[in-house]
Amino acid sequence: MAELLSALFQRPNFVVFVILFLWGIYIMAAHPNYVKKLIGLYIVQTSVIFFLVAFSAKNGATVPIVSGDMAMLDASAFANPLPHVLTVTAIVVQVATLGVSLALVAALYRQYGSLDEDEVVQRVE
Amino acid sequence: MNSQLPILLFLVPFVTAVAMPILCARRRSWCRPLTTGAVSVMVVLAIMNLRVVVSDGPIEYALGGWTAPIGIAWLDDPLAAIMALTMSAVSLLTLIYGRVAVTSKHDRSIQYHTLILLFVAALIGIVFAADLFNVFVFLEVAALTGYALVGAGGGKALVYAFRYLLLGSFGATLYLLGVSYLYAATGTLNMTDLATRMPELITSTAVVGGLIFVFLGLSIKMALIPLHGWLPGAYANAPNAIAPLLASTVTKVALVAWVRIEYSLIEPGIEVSHIPVLVLLEDIGVLAAVIGGALALVQTDIKRIFAYGGIGHIGLILVGVSLGNSTALAGGLFYLINDAVMQAMLFMIAGAVLHYHGATTLDDLKGISVRSPWITGALVVVAVSMVGLPPTGGFFGKWNIVLGALEAQHYLAVFAVLASTLLTLGYFLRLFSCWFHQPVTIQSERLEIAVSLRLSLGIAAVAMFALGIMSDSIVRVLLESLANGGV
Repeated sequence: MAELLSALFQRPNFVVFVILFLWGIYIMAAHPNYVKKLIGLYIVQTSVIFFLVAFSAKNGATVPIVSGDMAMLDASAFANPLPHVLTVTAIVVQVATLGVSLALVAALYRQYGSLDEDEVVQRVE
Repeated sequence: MNSQLPILLFLVPFVTAVAMPILCARRRSWCRPLTTGAVSVMVVLAIMNLRVVVSDGPIEYALGGWTAPIGIAWLDDPLAAIMALTMSAVSLLTLIYGRVAVTSKHDRSIQYHTLILLFVAALIGIVFAADLFNVFVFLEVAALTGYALVGAGGGKALVYAFRYLLLGSFGATLYLLGVSYLYAATGTLNMTDLATRMPELITSTAVVGGLIFVFLGLSIKMALIPLHGWLPGAYANAPNAIAPLLASTVTKVALVAWVRIEYSLIEPGIEVSHIPVLVLLEDIGVLAAVIGGALALVQTDIKRIFAYGGIGHIGLILVGVSLGNSTALAGGLFYLINDAVMQAMLFMIAGAVLHYHGATTLDDLKGISVRSPWITGALVVVAVSMVGLPPTGGFFGKWNIVLGALEAQHYLAVFAVLASTLLTLGYFLRLFSCWFHQPVTIQSERLEIAVSLRLSLGIAAVAMFALGIMSDSIVRVLLESLANGGV
């Protein structure tokens, strides 16, 4: 138990990631309001992006721009650019998802005059 | 030229999609010919690509000239070439069909056709991608255009499109999480590179967790039971022209992505904490095949019957690709091609029945056979293939899966194939008993069915038999490719 606790406290980033992830899922599942569901989805997506950034962080590393001989370099002195590139792409995907989903919610609201899922589903079925 | 075929296959629909709003701003009527033309060019390119790949062997395409593992690689092997051809051919088929089915108060044909072309381009991207993150990006492009297309008709479809969006995006997020686990553990995203680092790392919790998240994410996309919740509602309420396109591609292409990952990263017979991984996947497939078929049997809505039938078939294909020998793998992949055509055809029929007769439930179907001989003929052909009778393609896919299961001595898989066949027979008998029922009021005049509908149903029916006749050569190409170490 003590080992587990110390392992947890040494990795606060990952604890935050797990909390955000589960919180987002809870909001998505529990709230009947469409916009709140979207917020839940957004939190889940952001938590994964946070995870990507968290595990790629390095102490004392600098910008990975190198000229000259690559073979002689000390890898620990440079930040790994790949996870950050993935992060940027994932954010773009996230924004696109948000755009489409807001358009859908707006169309739903215009059609049914409500943002409450229970109410809308009742009227559909 | 030949070495550039994969990227051309992607660029043709993509560039057309981007140029569409400019080219058609003043002439709305150009949208449809332009879209159909672009997808026809894709079919021609895909056939050329398949010929090149079969004769010259797989091509590794380095985007922008940067070779793997630094750059992003596309792998153009027989599996990818066959799938690219299937996806573009099925899209062309549904586009021909879509001529009659698009009805809208406002003219949104530019947006609609742009979305379809982007969707098709994303499918090609998923098929060729040999990089885990690239698969994620294309999955999301396909999914986002898919949500918009499902909701395009408005009304009830919006509710289901939103549900599809929530679950689909959540699935993609799980996939991304899995990919970042795998990247953190191995330091690479390229599938070939991952495969070389995998054997010594397969027992690490990060890799196992990553693979589980990747599988969960893709199972939502491929609507594997019990994560199929979004599919029936979305397909039953999507516009008539869209349901065949989505039903025949979305779930299949996610399954193709999983087959690539599974085949390159999970060795047959490997055990993680005493659980044989492939047998577990096979059992999940067995459950999905049986439960999907059983759920189809109790539905009364025609489109829902077909949707659950498709869900059952996804399970069947998963059984085939998880048996761990090449016979079953080739059989499963061949069945996947058939399933794409069958699903397109089923939803085209359901759409036509709704369009011409206003029928959505089994009870509405009574007496249709007298009035619509074309649709009846198409339904009989697709039923023969779904149940799996020779000489249609469905039979040979199931046959190879059964042969592979016997080779691996997994009798549960044989049972799953047989049970799924019986359940399929069951729901088609239910359908036929209404379809060929004598009408209450005799209306003997036949309905005039549009030429494009006849054409698309006719081509699909011929394709069912053509796949059956060519099954031998397709399976042989897949088997040869497997023997050479690729998928």
